[in-house]
Amino acid sequence: MGKLRLPIAATLAAIVIAGHAVLLPALYFSLAGAVQRSHENSFVNGVRTFSRLLADHFELGDELNSPQLARDLLDTVILNSDGAYAELIDNGRVTRSDLVSPALRFPAREDYSFGAAGDHIYFIRLPISRPGHSAELRLGYDERPTSAAIAVALRRMLWTLIAYLGVSMTLAIALGYWLSRPVRRLQIAAHNIAGGAYSEDLRLSTRVSELHNLGETLDQMRSELLGISQRLRAEMRDRELAEMQRTVLEQRLQHRQRLETVGTLAGGIAHEFNNLLVPITLLTEFTIKKLPASHAQRPDLEVVLAAARRARDVVRQVLTFSREMGDASPQPVDLADVVREAMRLFTPLIAPTVRLRVDLDSPCALVRADRSLAVQMVMNLCTNAYQALQGLAGEVSVELREVSGSSAVSGGLSDAGRFVQLRIRDTGHGMDAATLKRIFEPFYTTRSVGEGTGLGLSVVHGIVESFGASIVVDSKEGEGSSFKVLFPITATRSGSVPGPAGVAP
Amino acid sequence: MKRILIVDDEHFVRDALKRVLEGESVVVEVAPDAEAALIQIGKQPFDLVILDIIMPGLDGVQLIRQLRAQYPSLRIIAISGGGNFELSGYRPDSIATRAYLAAAANSGADAVLAKPFDTAQLEALVMPFLERQGDVA
Repeated sequence: MGKLRLPIAATLAAIVIAGHAVLLPALYFSLAGAVQRSHENSFVNGVRTFSRLLADHFELGDELNSPQLARDLLDTVILNSDGAYAELIDNGRVTRSDLVSPALRFPAREDYSFGAAGDHIYFIRLPISRPGHSAELRLGYDERPTSAAIAVALRRMLWTLIAYLGVSMTLAIALGYWLSRPVRRLQIAAHNIAGGAYSEDLRLSTRVSELHNLGETLDQMRSELLGISQRLRAEMRDRELAEMQRTVLEQRLQHRQRLETVGTLAGGIAHEFNNLLVPITLLTEFTIKKLPASHAQRPDLEVVLAAARRARDVVRQVLTFSREMGDASPQPVDLADVVREAMRLFTPLIAPTVRLRVDLDSPCALVRADRSLAVQMVMNLCTNAYQALQGLAGEVSVELREVSGSSAVSGGLSDAGRFVQLRIRDTGHGMDAATLKRIFEPFYTTRSVGEGTGLGLSVVHGIVESFGASIVVDSKEGEGSSFKVLFPITATRSGSVPGPAGVAP
Repeated sequence: MKRILIVDDEHFVRDALKRVLEGESVVVEVAPDAEAALIQIGKQPFDLVILDIIMPGLDGVQLIRQLRAQYPSLRIIAISGGGNFELSGYRPDSIATRAYLAAAANSGADAVLAKPFDTAQLEALVMPFLERQGDVA
């Protein structure tokens, strides 16, 4: 069973009620006793003094000798005080006031205490000492007026206490509400903070210093939480960004490592073939030379030789891809010249249905590159674009632009700075994501056997890497592909060199 | 008679070169590695040594240095198709044929030839040495 929980106002009211339930009766009864005793004492004292004075009067005056005077005096007692009974006994003679009710009789036993005997009359007997007289004064006083006064006083006290209780309760409840309002505000604020809504100011106004302090502390906590949450959010954003960058870099690294592994493997195999091609070439040539010109086997051996030459070319391309470019000599080159030279070689090769669009920034900023390798790179890219058209009508466009780092690689991570961007686009069949991932791998080809070696783009990749340039491919299936090669600008026309020129060995 | 020594760990290459270069006035001998080559040259002098660079044991560049030191007038042609063996002292990370050939040339080879090559390329290099008159190592 849960503990009984009450709001502050109800709690205070309950405390007030509980306290007063004990205090007020105790107060009432002790005060009532005192009031009663005080009234009784003053009644008894007054009655005794008055009676004594009366007795003295009888001792000294003429009344004992005159029954008429005595009766008058006794009447005075009845009339001028709360007297109810007055009687003088002198030497056996009884003189009684005429005003005494005939039914009333002096009790046998003297009644000295207020309220005793149940007759509402205080009886007192006083001896009168006077030579020649054996007299006694018997008086009775009405207790009821005093009792009534006591009752009135008690009732007034009771009402006062009830009024006091009412006021106390009202005050307690008001105090409770007054206290509970800021507390409720604090409670709502704490609830909001617990729920994560701590951007709003607390704005607590109270005269209770503890609550004020509590409010300030809570507000401080709130603003600290706000700071912490903002910091956390910023950190999370940073971390997400870093994670994203890391993922992109990792993917690039993986891609690069994969290419390197394949390249090394291919390179190793190519070197083996270099050795094997020596006896094939030499001995075939040797045999041909020995055969008479008309010998039937000669053409077969010519085929062997042609195949060996083709094998040699393939091996060379593989080695180019695996970056065997010992005599590549990168130097400042105007890529516009390179593209123009490549176009001279490429243009005669294309079918008339294919439109070639060349758009060059010329002269263009210089980049570090090996001229003949750069020509080969452009040729390979153009050949690839042309083959993507698959003999159908379409367009191959070659573009050369100076761009800044941020616009150079959309969505990717790129160093800031200036680049020369070579873009070669086709309106061919495009590539899906899986193909896009593998296009730079040696021997990866989408063309049928005999159409391509699968080395063209891996050679491009090797050349691009050797220049310290980077290549970005965008492709949509059915819409064509775009190859962007970004060369860091190493020297402007005037010869100044902006920034470090990253050139791969 | 001119004497040629072919040093190559690949017997296809050795035998093919021997078959192509042998003639009426040319004697061709072969050796599978540098150690064997040194012994053969020590026994009988040669006019020309055609050696591979990447070989197990003593590599071609080391062989060129030794031959240059012992037989200053000996003609040497280095051939290489590259490979990813470590070559002591010469760009061990490199698998570049040209790097090896450059190393060979720097070490004293008279001529270098990248594999694969055809008969015409080979003869263009070899013939001038064989036609030279006189000094035999």
